[in-house]
Amino acid sequence: MHELGIMYHIVEQVERVARENRITEIEALVLQVGALSSVVPRYLYACFPAAADGTILENTTLEIESLPANGICKECGTVFDTIENLNMCPDCKSRNFELISGGGFFIKEIRGA
Amino acid sequence: MKEFRVLEIKESVFADNNADADRLRKELKESNTFLLNLMSSPGAGKTSTLVKTIAALKYKLNIAVMEADIDSDVDAATIAATGAKVIQLHTGGMCHLDADMTRQGIKGLDAKDTDLIILENVGNLVCPAEFDTGAAKNAMILSVPEGDDKPLKYPLMFQICDALIINKIDTISMFDFDMDACIKRARKLNPDIKVFPLSAKTGEGMEAWTSWLYETVTANQEIN
Repeated sequence: MHELGIMYHIVEQVERVARENRITEIEALVLQVGALSSVVPRYLYACFPAAADGTILENTTLEIESLPANGICKECGTVFDTIENLNMCPDCKSRNFELISGGGFFIKEIRGA
Repeated sequence: MKEFRVLEIKESVFADNNADADRLRKELKESNTFLLNLMSSPGAGKTSTLVKTIAALKYKLNIAVMEADIDSDVDAATIAATGAKVIQLHTGGMCHLDADMTRQGIKGLDAKDTDLIILENVGNLVCPAEFDTGAAKNAMILSVPEGDDKPLKYPLMFQICDALIINKIDTISMFDFDMDACIKRARKLNPDIKVFPLSAKTGEGMEAWTSWLYETVTANQEIN
């Protein structure tokens, strides 16, 4: 269960940020998950209560935003969703592209007091 | 009603672990210890490759092994039989090791005069790729029965590895494994990756791998 271990890391990281910023109550935690980041948002939601139990995040709502897998074609410069287009440029049909987003996994923000 | 404010964090989920891994890498470099993080799917032959690697290098290098498993010590017993110092790390259900768990393992090894510590990571091609352990080099084993399409399926693992061992080449006639296609796919993701086709069972190709490892460990010591 790879999402649970990752969720524990996220909780620890957010606890540190909260300490540094003297935040004692967190209403919402917002994550950004890249489409190619190999984590499943549904499982992150499922694991969150277990990882947050007994921490400052215990009563926090988890929100997840998805980041699309975007690539830029090295032949014609078109930016396209690499998953929808099966790794092929929809304009010139080249498979030579560079990934510009979608691999990352970020803690975007917290809303707290 | 409480006033809530939005605090932008914009940190990668892996930021804390990456920083900790950099600290561990520096500590190890100062103590002249080379940490190799060895990863693969379950059953690719990590333990048997390690046994042969230790046999080839044990008179030249002082080697210790950290065995990471979810819950068993089968591999540790096999490694201990080679005479190398070994410690078993139980990850308690976690599918990878992070830098802090690695540091604790090294502490438990008490390996002050060790030249080379090999971390046998949990058998998995996904999570270990995402968590930097603090190793000086990363190596992975792909075995012939797993197929030549693994670089397409687990790109991150191939991107972060310095060395790729392609194991069980003695079985290649029985599988539809295209060696050239596999290497090409790996190099497309990682042009600098060193590739070592070998068979831990027959010993074929082992020398190129162990020579590379020996040279990399000693080059690292000379820089200090």
